[in-house]
Amino acid sequence: MNAIETHDLTRNYDSLCAVDHLSLSVNNEIFGLLGPNGSGKTTTVLMLTTLLRPTAGTATVCGYDIVREGEKVRQQLSYVPQDMAVDIKLTGRENVLLFAHLYGIVNPKDKTDEVLSIMELSDRADDLIRTYSGGMRRRLELAQALVHEPAVLFLDEPTIGLDVAARKKIWDHIGTLRKNGMTIFVTTHYMDEADQYCDRVGIVSNGRVVALGQPSSLKSQLMTDVITAKISGPFVPLEVEGIQFVGQKDDEITFTAENGKEALPRIAQSLTENGIQVRSLSLREPTLDDVFLHAVGKQEEPHHFNDQQFRTMLRRRK
Amino acid sequence: MNGIWYYMERDMIKWFRGRIGVVTLLVMPAAWLIFVGLALPVTFTGNYLDFITPGILVMTMLASSMQGGALLMFDKILGFLNKFLALPTPRESILFGKILFITIRGVIQSTIILLVAILIGATILSPIQYGTIFLILILFGILLSGLATTLALYVGDHDSYAAVNTMISMPLFFTSSALMPYSVMPPWLRAIASVNPLSFAIDAIRSVGTGVVPFLQIGILIVLGIVVIALCIRVFRGMTV
Repeated sequence: MNAIETHDLTRNYDSLCAVDHLSLSVNNEIFGLLGPNGSGKTTTVLMLTTLLRPTAGTATVCGYDIVREGEKVRQQLSYVPQDMAVDIKLTGRENVLLFAHLYGIVNPKDKTDEVLSIMELSDRADDLIRTYSGGMRRRLELAQALVHEPAVLFLDEPTIGLDVAARKKIWDHIGTLRKNGMTIFVTTHYMDEADQYCDRVGIVSNGRVVALGQPSSLKSQLMTDVITAKISGPFVPLEVEGIQFVGQKDDEITFTAENGKEALPRIAQSLTENGIQVRSLSLREPTLDDVFLHAVGKQEEPHHFNDQQFRTMLRRRK
Repeated sequence: MNGIWYYMERDMIKWFRGRIGVVTLLVMPAAWLIFVGLALPVTFTGNYLDFITPGILVMTMLASSMQGGALLMFDKILGFLNKFLALPTPRESILFGKILFITIRGVIQSTIILLVAILIGATILSPIQYGTIFLILILFGILLSGLATTLALYVGDHDSYAAVNTMISMPLFFTSSALMPYSVMPPWLRAIASVNPLSFAIDAIRSVGTGVVPFLQIGILIVLGIVVIALCIRVFRGMTV
């Protein structure tokens, strides 16, 4: 039995399809759901944590159906939303103790001390949250989530708004939990973090999974090098054999080629022939960003922004 | 059941630590008691303070409940509600915890107002009478805090709720029997006042003062309370999956 199993999970907000026939199996790993803002990551998490009803499809968490067995599902999971909701007028200990009590832990005080020390918050436990930094607040939320030893942990953008050191610390803690056998379902739009810390990632775009697998295998599937050219003036697509145009961001054009070193001069030549001035060229190994761009296609503006639909979606998912 | 208590405890600690909030809600009813209760020259009673005190107690409860209604809405806006909803604790205990907190807070504040009233010359009643008065206030508090919480959840944002709050509170108070007996009201006001739920509570407390146990009004408050709570649970469930 997998910790998380979804089958054609779908959620519509009126005419907007936020999650489109999502089928996933996640078990005993750090699974990263990646994608740009508004791609359906949070909606997926809300459905799996029983906070939102799917429009169609089914999903189970630890074998329990998310619609019919909501309370059993909630006994198996912990959920840390993106908002950083900790009571600033309470101390760190009080915040965790509240959750320990609500979960009905047998010896709430000891358990609270334990998770606070795991999250390295013991020495600040009796200070008001008002005095905590962003990274500490995030760790406190993790402590709240861990106090009942969930089988599955859902983290929605756990490192958003944190500095580099704080992010690393959060990911180190997540890694430790994974080693102790917990299943961790993370959403993020930081591809580099996912690449570094997730066992497996699923890339979503417009509610669909467009790539799924280990970061390393996704990257090696591209089997290519990535060439980035900085240019001045407008870009006209090129037709050069063995070189694929991937995308354009401002004045940066990205190509892939199987042998990057050989492709460099040919790209430079071709660009110059087309009257485009090349300011710099660089060559690197592919990253998850490239996997993403490759999977989603030429990603300028995938669909035009519909203000009304966006508002409907925001309102509904509160 | 336990969840209700811990949700209440959370709000209670936050309220006490707020300090300013503990005092501000009391200023208005205390001012009414002193500046109107002691000063207004009325002819229909010899002791206006004794007449107005039940109205001010109910007003305290009303202000506290209406202000408390915003608490759950803020929990929703700030993301706490989603965290709580994802817990295995029965979801309704979030709602009941709020109602319990708001009611207890209202009772604490009413007690202080009652002490102020006694201090400035209101007649002292027997313990049984005070017990009955607090029973009425608690029933009224449950009724109103449930209503306010649901209303705020329904309205959804802070500004709109503040506007609704202002729109409801004052007219509700002035069209009740808080300030004058039915006998001196113009007929149109009498008609409104006699169906105003505030009047049920105020009249009930007044009759306790004269030595009568107001079974009818208590009964009405219980029935209204049950209806409102049932409605609250419905709305709450509808709004939270």
